[in-house]
Amino acid sequence: MSAAEDQAAVEKVLDGDTSSFEDIVRRWQGPLVNLAYRFCRDRGRAEEMAQEAFLRAYRSLAQWRREAAFSTWLFALATNLYCSELRRIPVRTVGLDDIVEPRDCRAIDGGLEEEDQGRVVRRAVFALPPKYREAFILFYFHEMDVASTAQSLALPEGTVKARLSRGREMLRSKLSKQLGEPLLRKEA
Amino acid sequence: MRQDDFDRILSKDQEIIPSSGFVVSVMDAVRRETEAPPPIPFPWKRALPGLSAAGFALVSVFVVGITPFIGETATQPLPAKFPSAFALIFQGWNAVGASWIVLALVLSFASVKLSRRFVSDKARWSEIQ
Repeated sequence: MSAAEDQAAVEKVLDGDTSSFEDIVRRWQGPLVNLAYRFCRDRGRAEEMAQEAFLRAYRSLAQWRREAAFSTWLFALATNLYCSELRRIPVRTVGLDDIVEPRDCRAIDGGLEEEDQGRVVRRAVFALPPKYREAFILFYFHEMDVASTAQSLALPEGTVKARLSRGREMLRSKLSKQLGEPLLRKEA
Repeated sequence: MRQDDFDRILSKDQEIIPSSGFVVSVMDAVRRETEAPPPIPFPWKRALPGLSAAGFALVSVFVVGITPFIGETATQPLPAKFPSAFALIFQGWNAVGASWIVLALVLSFASVKLSRRFVSDKARWSEIQ
């Protein structure tokens, strides 16, 4: 479904054809459920949050101004909902200082293997303070660019860049022992 | 760790596929939403006389309760032991009629809180509907 088809479906829904909303749900269910999953790491909760996001979108369809793409509007709405949901009932995380991973003895260079690195870094991202974590989830896990991340979080691009940079600094300082050395060695 | 390392490690996040009944479940919720009766508007016309009476009663209670106190404190000399700085503040307080200002602020605050509560109750009620 292209942007034009999105818009056509929205127009139909606004004209009273509720069933046209199904096209929108089919088109965007994957991205919205995945986005929710990246925020909460719980499949069941992700689907609940995505359903609530679709319902909220349905209620607010008339508020979508055609200046921005439908997807941008939908992601901003969903991100806003997911952030509020997770502030209301937070995901159980460990503090940044508590992330201590034993070195994997299988790794020849003393560092963690790539799969483990990903797991450790993701855990560390979830231990970041919410404002950094939200920017990281959208930018890295959901592969948005800075502009889209800023739009979804309703923040200026400069603020998003600063949060990403500060978040990276925090992760770097906490994870350098587990991940930094082997990676630096590879680059050398 | 460089930015490239983060990009490489974090971009390998797993994708999940929504369960097969997800679309049906969302559309059921949407249809329930559509079929639900519109939210009942707050009955302002009925509530207005009661709210006005309550506001008037509240103001009256404050006025009746505070007026004698203001009269007394304005006429009574301050005790000799009263520290001079406090005495000055207290006299200044009375001179500008600060009690009335405080009363007005309290009433305004209460009215704002009350109206916000009505609005949030109404929103919650419409969500339940």
